[in-house]
Amino acid sequence: MTISQSHAQLDDPPGRDAPRAAYLRVYLTFVRNSLVRDLSYRSNFVIESVASTSWVAMNLGFYLLIFNNPYVTQIGDGLGWGKYEFFVFLATTMLVNNLVQIFFMPNAEEFSELIRTGRLDFALVKPIDTQFIISLQKISWASISNFLVGVGLLGYSLWRLTTREINPLAISPVAAILYPVYILLGVAILYSLMITMSAASVWLGRNQSLTNFWFYITNFSRYPMEIYNAGWGAALMYIFTFIVPVLVVVNVPARLLAQPLSPRAWWEWPLAGFAVLASVGSVLASRWVFQRAIKAYRSASS
Amino acid sequence: MFTSAFTHWTIFRIALQERLVYRGDFAIGTLLRFLPIITQIFLWHAVFAGAHATAVSSGASPQEAERLFGYTYQNVVAYYLLSMLSRAFSSMPGLASGVARQIRDGEIKKFIIQPIDMGGFFLLGRIAHKLAYYSVAIGPFALVFFLCGDYFDTPPSGAVWLAYFASLLMAFLLGFFLELTIGMIGFWFLEVSSLLFVYMLFSFFLSGHMFPLDMLPAWAKVIVQFTPFQYLAYFPAAVFLGKIQGPELWRGLLIEAAWVALFIALSRVALHYGLKRYSGYGG
Amino acid sequence: MKIGRLGKSQGAACAGACPAVRKGGAEPDAKDRICPCYLAHVAAPATPTNLSLQTRNPTIEIRGLAKTYHVYQKREGLLASLGGLFHRRFREVRAVDGIHLSVQAGEFVAFLGPNGAGKTTTLKLLSGIITPTAGSATVLGFVPWERANAYRRRFALVMGQKNQLWWDLPAQESFRLHQQIYRIEPTQFERTRDDLTDLLGVRRLVGQPVRELSLGERMKMELIAALLHSPDVLFLDEPTIGLDVVAQHTIQQFLRSYQEERKTTILLTSHYMKDVAALCRRVVIIANGRIEFDGSLDGVIDQFSGHKIVTLQFAEEALVGGAPPDLGRFGDVLEVTPPKARVRLPRHEVSHLLAEVLGRWPLEDIVVSDPPLEDVIAELFSRSSAPEIEQAEDDRAPMVT
Repeated sequence: MTISQSHAQLDDPPGRDAPRAAYLRVYLTFVRNSLVRDLSYRSNFVIESVASTSWVAMNLGFYLLIFNNPYVTQIGDGLGWGKYEFFVFLATTMLVNNLVQIFFMPNAEEFSELIRTGRLDFALVKPIDTQFIISLQKISWASISNFLVGVGLLGYSLWRLTTREINPLAISPVAAILYPVYILLGVAILYSLMITMSAASVWLGRNQSLTNFWFYITNFSRYPMEIYNAGWGAALMYIFTFIVPVLVVVNVPARLLAQPLSPRAWWEWPLAGFAVLASVGSVLASRWVFQRAIKAYRSASS
Repeated sequence: MFTSAFTHWTIFRIALQERLVYRGDFAIGTLLRFLPIITQIFLWHAVFAGAHATAVSSGASPQEAERLFGYTYQNVVAYYLLSMLSRAFSSMPGLASGVARQIRDGEIKKFIIQPIDMGGFFLLGRIAHKLAYYSVAIGPFALVFFLCGDYFDTPPSGAVWLAYFASLLMAFLLGFFLELTIGMIGFWFLEVSSLLFVYMLFSFFLSGHMFPLDMLPAWAKVIVQFTPFQYLAYFPAAVFLGKIQGPELWRGLLIEAAWVALFIALSRVALHYGLKRYSGYGG
Repeated sequence: MKIGRLGKSQGAACAGACPAVRKGGAEPDAKDRICPCYLAHVAAPATPTNLSLQTRNPTIEIRGLAKTYHVYQKREGLLASLGGLFHRRFREVRAVDGIHLSVQAGEFVAFLGPNGAGKTTTLKLLSGIITPTAGSATVLGFVPWERANAYRRRFALVMGQKNQLWWDLPAQESFRLHQQIYRIEPTQFERTRDDLTDLLGVRRLVGQPVRELSLGERMKMELIAALLHSPDVLFLDEPTIGLDVVAQHTIQQFLRSYQEERKTTILLTSHYMKDVAALCRRVVIIANGRIEFDGSLDGVIDQFSGHKIVTLQFAEEALVGGAPPDLGRFGDVLEVTPPKARVRLPRHEVSHLLAEVLGRWPLEDIVVSDPPLEDVIAELFSRSSAPEIEQAEDDRAPMVT
């Protein structure tokens, strides 16, 4: 059958006037494709998983060493971060960072490459939101092992906290519901930061310093924010809360879950509220940057 | 012989020029390298504050909690700064992967043809790199050390200074030949990156880069003694801070020298057999 | 185009927009040139099977389109780059310098031009990838750089030197992704995919990872991916570059039969004469960002070549005393292999040469032919290319405008 014959059977090729792309289905296809790809490089997949998990394990080892000392029972003076509370914090860091690693990190790196090689063209001509494709098309399944370690650590720490003899932690239903919500908000903030930095390569060209920069900035979010509140560190704390809000990413959900319901510091609920604003604001800001970047895109020639 | 010296000078000069071009970037990069240390220091500050509170509330004297693992808070800060300095000498970014890549791409061939010693070539390149780095980095480094002068108590004695410098120089050589040897594995295996990653992993934790090795439990300390990693960051810093003294110090230096000699030998052997194997495959 | 046949107002509009008229002033014969204006107003446009409304309005309409780049000094390093944001030195490069073009539905148009002429930039403007600095263009009634989904659904872009298929996956997975993105109905999708893969002979390869395919096979897959959603307009940027002769031929054949059946409007840029000669009736020559010519291939030779090639075959006995020594008088002697001689000479000299030779030597055969198209085009390009423009599209560092 010739092409025109097969087409003639349908008056108007379907999908022609379909109002929008089927985002969910497209995303599921991305998921499937990434899985197929990662599994076809099976040994690589295993190596990467083992490598990143060993890294995390060693990091945990460091914290275990610290708490090994008989005098170290808490981080900070009366801040509420005892050993297992601190581990809840760590687990939250792992959860947020790994979600970003799984869903967004490969895409942010790819984005800079697409800009550099000019292959971004192909994303621009598809009838689907460009930021959607760019941000979501690849999923790094290898980081799932780390995510699971985080879940394990969280579970174990919460168990220890809720079953200890003195002052067992009571997890309120509100905290239990809000925790995953705030994890997602934290991911949104980190995503926005990441995509903004990748998009900047339209103007700044390829730049290794940018990836280092990402690492340095997110390094700050690894610990409870109160520890910075000493001397000139307070300035850092405010900058990274209100200007580049990386500190609220882990702090809010971790506090919500690990700290007892009362007494809460006066600033906790306002901070939580701010975190919502920060997430929304970051996402909007990053979208704006993204669209400016697309406009300035030059499409490197072959 | 004359031409050989001239060639070496040219190589050195070119590598130096190449690095100096990126002066501004260097300065910023150097300052940025201190950032992760800052987070760690804040963490330790909080750890010490917590320990102090714990000691007080449990009725013990607060002095007891001023030293954790044998380090006061000031010691810890000083340690991190010193380990950064050691790492500045011993870290060889891109060396192993660069060598492996050159092997893979066949650029290694020029060492078979030309009368330049490969190990020497890379070594000179690295020296140039480090010199260029320091000529710019010495500014930020000096600044940081000056600002943090309070964290250092008694300066070391003359003999210890000597030992310190010796350990730094050997740290450079050790780091260099260790990574060079790893890179040479590229003659036999295509994928050096996994091995490199394992090396980086162990090096990060067992070299003292992340924390002073005194924190390790006894059994771990024993294991670490059999590895060369501690000389890359921990040993020079510990020497300076006076954590290692007397006969232990000299013994440590000797062992470090032995490790250096071992890796120099290993790299030469690997080069010899590697090139043989390589040219056997009809370049 | 015979202006006389059009109404006065139409003639004026044509005269304003038609490059042929602007250049020569004379009225060429309709036989030689297929002027877009003529096509629009006089000849009946090809009936498209899949265009809904406007059959008289051109599918692609470009007016005064221009794209100027500021090319900045690239700075290495983060600090230098940041400093570069404040103090920039640049030179201005006019990649596209005011072009007018009209393409009707179902036409197959070739863009020819040297490196940096603006062909790829024009395609990118029409695809909506970049925005112009001046002028306007509509494709299928849409403004391309607004990137409306309704527009993007109806065209496709294939670039010979860039791959869009996922490298590590079989082509069929990329096809499936296309299906989802373009919302192609499943049975329709399968039928189109099977048709296309059969036509290009790659049916058995769709399950293999793209990285394992040869260059030619990859290109075929890229073409298939682009055609899965049955676009009305197809932009091809050097699709056969780097391919072996067989693959080039297959793709040319495919494009020709596809276009004949589907009446897709196709814009093709190429360096290869064979592509152009095999596929397109209409050729647009671009150099320095401007359209130098818009018409048929024969018209190119007529307009741009002042030369003819005369091949003389002498009778055996005439060459006993040696070949005629003074052929060089008339032009360039290209080749003398007895009993033939080939001379390239200005047109007006042809009659003189023939008169001389016929009178003095017995000839077995005379052929007067046009120089090869490649030579004509190459000469045209070398006459008009400027070094500045050459660099514009070679600049690999994307910098801000």
